Amino acid sequence: MQPTLSFEQAPPISVPFRFLLTAPLFGVAAGLLLLWLGPEALASRWAPGALALTHLITTGFMLQAMCGALLQLVPVAAGGNVWRPRLVAGLVHPALIVAALSLVAAFLSMRPPLFVSAAVLFAAALGFYLSVVGIAVLRTSAQGATVLALRIALLGLAATAVLGATLAVGFGLRLELPLIELANIHTVWGLGGWSMVLLTGISYLLVPMFQLTPAYPLRMAFAVPTALFAASALASLQLAGNLRWLGEVGAFLALAAAVGYAITSLWLQRRRRRKLTDSTFHLFRSAMIAILLTFASCVAFEFVPALGEHPRAPVWLGILVLFGVFTLAINGAVYKIVPFLNWLHLQRRGVTAGAAPNMKQMIAESAIRRQARLQLAAVGLLLAAVLVPELTRPAGALLAASFALLEANLIAGVKVYLRVSRAIQAA
Amino acid sequence: MSGPRIIDGRNLLPPEPLELTIDALESLSDGEYLTLLLYCQPHPLYEILRRDGYLWEENLQADGTREIRIRKATAGR
Repeated sequence: MQPTLSFEQAPPISVPFRFLLTAPLFGVAAGLLLLWLGPEALASRWAPGALALTHLITTGFMLQAMCGALLQLVPVAAGGNVWRPRLVAGLVHPALIVAALSLVAAFLSMRPPLFVSAAVLFAAALGFYLSVVGIAVLRTSAQGATVLALRIALLGLAATAVLGATLAVGFGLRLELPLIELANIHTVWGLGGWSMVLLTGISYLLVPMFQLTPAYPLRMAFAVPTALFAASALASLQLAGNLRWLGEVGAFLALAAAVGYAITSLWLQRRRRRKLTDSTFHLFRSAMIAILLTFASCVAFEFVPALGEHPRAPVWLGILVLFGVFTLAINGAVYKIVPFLNWLHLQRRGVTAGAAPNMKQMIAESAIRRQARLQLAAVGLLLAAVLVPELTRPAGALLAASFALLEANLIAGVKVYLRVSRAIQAA
Repeated sequence: MSGPRIIDGRNLLPPEPLELTIDALESLSDGEYLTLLLYCQPHPLYEILRRDGYLWEENLQADGTREIRIRKATAGR
């Protein structure tokens, strides 16, 4: 009999849920910001509104969802014991909320103290989080592509955070720093070395499990996170001198690795063992198509300079990646993660299999479908708003409504957990 | 006693394989084996097995299937 991995320190359900329930609220805020600012929010990559919007999604929606999911995933999927998860969540979760809000307020007001406070809070919260989760992921005896991806992703988060804090302090204190180069490297690490790597690692686990596809090919599964890390590291070398082209090469290599992952994912979806197509399936497929669209757009921008040099070209790419790839993929994943955690924790509390509601009863598929359609429509309208600025406010309204509906659906799922838990206690 | 008890969870959506396994464990006799076939390592199930006093062994097959054989810990080898 083989020795088992220990789960004695698996976190209570409140640990991942507090992050996962906070994430959509940042999405609502992003929609409201678009509604408030209108077309100026999408005028250029460097517009204060665009930077505020970007960081509401990256350090708000994405970071909350990813940090929360990792706290549960590391013990359950990778067999790593996270040290005192309730304490970690209790400190990191509020600190990240305040840090993200501080950063967004800094971009909108351009007040130096807000940049500095955001940098300090992010450094402290993520430094603590990375130490604890990093030790758990390093010490686990589990092996495989997901564990490799988790380790690389945490390195990527560390690099993103260090660069982001440096930029914020540099901006706040008006330091003489190569801000554009630093911002480009920060972006490559944030989107490639951290977010895309984590997305691949989680896909290796969740896609075969919940979409009943064959497993990701082993070589590809190891190669993609490694290539994303190498590409991000290569892009960082531009700081060594007048080597901005290295940043472009690194970004292109990262995108090529992501394309490999997207094509493989779409191929696996076509080969799934049972032809089940739910909203998570559609959201994930749309996210993979968004990766391919990003690549096609980059190629078009490269070969048609009139398009590539337009100030809204990077905004188009940003919306495709942030909203098209990451919000859709995360949106789909949380609809599997929350019901599964409900079921798992009810099991832990001693509910017999027949007595616990099944996963489809945790959040109604009809409600999920409605929200998924709204989110897809919001992403489509946001892309259209890059071309037709008058559509920015309607896109913002749709985005806010969609994220509010996501929040309502997740709360409905949590209510099921609470209802059954109370019934256990009463019995 | 009926033939070997096997749950093929490879084409089932989570948590169905775990639910079927937990149901089947309730009627598992001393010395009897329950075999579960999956494409992934069911870490949550291992926790439940350990908590409830079961032993198991896991074999990874060439096609990626994990064969997990479970029995009660109280039974002799």
